[in-house]
Amino acid sequence: MLCEKCQREIASVHVTKIINGQKTETHLCPECAGDLGEFGWSIDIPNLFASVFEQSQPWTKTATPQQRCSTCSSTLNDFRRLNQFGCGDCYMTFKSEIEPLLRRLHGASRHEGKIPAKGFAKLSINQKVKLLKEKLQQEISVENYEEAARLRDEIRELEKQLNSKGEE
Amino acid sequence: MGCSWMKKEGPEGDIVLGTRVRLARNFAKLPFPATANRDQAKQVLQKGELIAEKLGELTDVKFYRLAEVDKLEREVMMEKHLISPAHTENTASKGLILSLNEDISIMINEEDHLRIQVLFPGLQLRETWGLANKVDDLVESVVDYAFSPNIGYLTACPTNVGTGMRGSVMLHLPGLARIQQLSKVLTSISQFGLVVRGLYGEGSKSFGNIYQISNQVSLGYSETDVLEHLAKVTAQIISSERQARQYLIEKQQRIYSEDQIFRAYGLLTNARTMTTQEALELLSSVRLGIDLELIKDLNKNLLKELMVEIRAAHLQKIMGQSLPHEERDRLRASLIRDRLRQKTTDDS
Repeated sequence: MLCEKCQREIASVHVTKIINGQKTETHLCPECAGDLGEFGWSIDIPNLFASVFEQSQPWTKTATPQQRCSTCSSTLNDFRRLNQFGCGDCYMTFKSEIEPLLRRLHGASRHEGKIPAKGFAKLSINQKVKLLKEKLQQEISVENYEEAARLRDEIRELEKQLNSKGEE
Repeated sequence: MGCSWMKKEGPEGDIVLGTRVRLARNFAKLPFPATANRDQAKQVLQKGELIAEKLGELTDVKFYRLAEVDKLEREVMMEKHLISPAHTENTASKGLILSLNEDISIMINEEDHLRIQVLFPGLQLRETWGLANKVDDLVESVVDYAFSPNIGYLTACPTNVGTGMRGSVMLHLPGLARIQQLSKVLTSISQFGLVVRGLYGEGSKSFGNIYQISNQVSLGYSETDVLEHLAKVTAQIISSERQARQYLIEKQQRIYSEDQIFRAYGLLTNARTMTTQEALELLSSVRLGIDLELIKDLNKNLLKELMVEIRAAHLQKIMGQSLPHEERDRLRASLIRDRLRQKTTDDS
């Protein structure tokens, strides 16, 4: 029998799992079994995230347990098992489940930090302008007009870039 | 290879041993390491090579496939805080980019595709973030990140989503420990949204009064806000530690403090076998003695250097082979005796 994951090596590791009465069998080669971390997790650690997850379920239940992420084919059950998502797109696939979770973990659900310049140029410039404007106010309040003038020019330059991007 | 955070003394270096900023980053459209298949993991590692090339524009770096690095060397890297304990195992597709002076390290295929880390001596949150940010900009110019305008950088674990940033300071707090105020201070830290960890990160124990304090939250605040907050709390802890140290050398206390410090010094310079834990506790006392200027002829960075050099993998590297416990304890005691004999006040 070949390994179910890589389809190349002989499957010498046979994993039988019974979760909520559902039995699944997996046949893997030693390397893939190692990759999966099947043996690092010999006991089921108390699943903190999952319990946070359950609490926020009743009102927002939209994804079914069978729903799979189209990029990595992970399900919500995979998340419960690993305490990790499968890929970046999972955050979109399971959005309605994840948002309340993020609010519980971070007390917020909206990003306020750095934005990559590539692919998000407009957002990134907007954010820079916002920060510079805050700085500008600070400099004006301490009457540091030289620095304020420099910041004003920098803001103008960025806003020009924004406008030209808008026309593209 | 020089490890600059260990060898150099930074700002507030009598209390803050080092500052670290790490950024969790992932590539768009590729499953995270725990879910990726072998080919996808390989793709990630290949992108790592590309990144290493790009970083060459900033500084000299080296790219490692960890499967090709021997186990002892990987453990040495871990003891130097360059890679996580998890990154020393199951090395099939794991990689590392390391700058020559070891202040930048990027783990490839750890929990996330990339873990960018910058490590500086002393308290330098702004500088550390500055370099991490610059490295991140360069990386971003050659790859596409998994990013959402609403929730930021997307990470395997939802606790890191947003900035993907964890800033930490490594603190030596022997004064607070001696006057039994440490647990009070550390408990109050959690009320400020910060976490306390041992020397080697999550789940590791603390020895020698060394603690890492870092932010817990990564979503909803900008990187600089988070680090400013961490800096403010750190400043508070530094000031309480200084007060505690002052108290230790006041009239009635002084003789007991001196006694404890010189007993530790005596043990370190004479013992013939020593466990890591005992060595770290005693080194903490001697370092306190240096900071309080009770011991004047020893190098300040001794604690930082020895803290890492007396670890199991470092000792075994010296001997070029794996050693049983008892052998390591003997070698450790002898290494410490030698190092303490090289008396010098030179801080270079």
